[in-house]
Amino acid sequence: MSLPKILSVDDSRMIHTLINKGFTPYDVQMVFASNGAEGLEVADREMPDVILLDVTMPVMDGIECLSKLKATPKLKDIPVIMLTAEAGKENVLKIAKMGVRDYIVKPFTEAAVIDRVGRIVDLKPKSGAAPAAAPAAPAANKKPRVITDAIKVLVVDEHPAIIESIQKAVAKRGWKVVGSASPEAAQAQVAPNIPAEETPDIVLISLAFPNKAALKFFATARQHPALRSLPFFGLCVKTAEFEQKDAKDTGFAGCITKPLDLAEIPDRIARAMELDVTPVFYSSEGDIQVVTIPQDLSEVGSLDLTRQSRTKVPNFVNAGYSKLLLDLTDVSKVEIPIIRAVASIIHECEKIGIDWRVVGNDVENVPNFPTILETNLKVAALKDLPNPFKGKSMIDVHPTRAAAIASF
Amino acid sequence: MSNPSKPSNTMFLENMNHFVPEVLRTMAGLSAMPAVGNLNAPQPSILAGISGSIGLSGKVNGVVYTAFSPSLGQMVAEKILGGSAGEQDVNDVIAELTNMFTGNLKSQLCDAGYNCTLTIPSVVRGDKISISAKTASISVSNSFTVEGCPEPLVLHVFAIVG
Repeated sequence: MSLPKILSVDDSRMIHTLINKGFTPYDVQMVFASNGAEGLEVADREMPDVILLDVTMPVMDGIECLSKLKATPKLKDIPVIMLTAEAGKENVLKIAKMGVRDYIVKPFTEAAVIDRVGRIVDLKPKSGAAPAAAPAAPAANKKPRVITDAIKVLVVDEHPAIIESIQKAVAKRGWKVVGSASPEAAQAQVAPNIPAEETPDIVLISLAFPNKAALKFFATARQHPALRSLPFFGLCVKTAEFEQKDAKDTGFAGCITKPLDLAEIPDRIARAMELDVTPVFYSSEGDIQVVTIPQDLSEVGSLDLTRQSRTKVPNFVNAGYSKLLLDLTDVSKVEIPIIRAVASIIHECEKIGIDWRVVGNDVENVPNFPTILETNLKVAALKDLPNPFKGKSMIDVHPTRAAAIASF
Repeated sequence: MSNPSKPSNTMFLENMNHFVPEVLRTMAGLSAMPAVGNLNAPQPSILAGISGSIGLSGKVNGVVYTAFSPSLGQMVAEKILGGSAGEQDVNDVIAELTNMFTGNLKSQLCDAGYNCTLTIPSVVRGDKISISAKTASISVSNSFTVEGCPEPLVLHVFAIVG
């Protein structure tokens, strides 16, 4: 089997040296380019498994290089990680839309680069060499986890009320919270001698502890062989911008700002852990697949349900299902996350010829869904949403599941 | 932090006071302590040693200068590269560190609605490098004591906020 090939495109020899040093303990092949134009040439010749790409470079900058990579059929699927000191929101959004896999902000640690690359390629230590920094477990070795699994959430916060709120928020998924008032008190949860099955599945830690204690706790946890890809969220107030940036640069999955949006916390945890969320929404009745949409579907939950439904719905056909029932009984107010989920699922059904029906109580709004969707397609959050109702102004809504099933 | 909506002298000083120590800690494992700083640094100012510079162009126009003494530049470069560093290595490290300081400043400016682009860094060496930007409404500087070296790292920002 050939070694994973990593291309670093940067005009700084210092960055090349650091990256090369970081990957020395691993069985990888490094290739380098000093600007975007050279990067394209090397990528075309070497076909790397991942590209680390700087933004500001002479001759051709990283943005132009990225756009050319994405426009070249042979190269467009190579995952690109941007490695740049420019992390303004607009810049990040612009680059994200161009299809980068990840984004590392300078200054960076070797461990951060290895961690991100390790999420894309399988990094194996050279025989006899101790890895300088821990890579995330390769995706292929990860056991797929679902939202109904028993998840252990470690919450480290100086305020007991915060721990209690998070406990209530995740209780609806049946997950367990272990609370701790300080990083020192939480050390026992991530100690090197603790068996892997007793370690937490995710950590939510306050960034307000003095002396960057949350970041140090993160580094300690990473020493445990089973916790190298343990997701971390920072807890902080919205205005703590520097703390949020520090956490993100250290390798946190994100920050949850206070006051907490309790409805969204389980969905953010599910996303960070890459849990399959569909068991919450999907069930079956005989030979019919049922999707139940709750009123409190959050923005994050809606996006994940939509994304995962793209695979789930086509899989029905292989499982022998040809009918889908969309249950909107709990929906009393049609909001953006619900519009997205419903339109996407029906779009998938239409695309592959699955017969669908809708059940609902809201006789005013649900039948008018096509009109509501059409009106809201201008909303930024829905602008890329497909409209499966073109030419339709109303849909049939059945008052009960039994009535809907009888109508197939 | 001060109000990010209008970049002020204080914002520039706060930004460098935060990011210079962060960059040095992350990249070189070195602590750096900012001095009080000068919100209205005199023009011209004199830099000595190895100086990196990067231009900002857009809704904010200006230049960010860094100045390392040769021994400080050498020490930081060797810490980062993990071995001996020649003159070219030191120049390259100073260019990249200047890029990191300026890139983080640019991010904060862009988030405040003041988009700008950066030039490629350049590095000069000299005992008496005179810098000035007469039309700049912002001239902010500060020096940072870096552990293990008696000579400070100096940062100077000239800017015109559009």
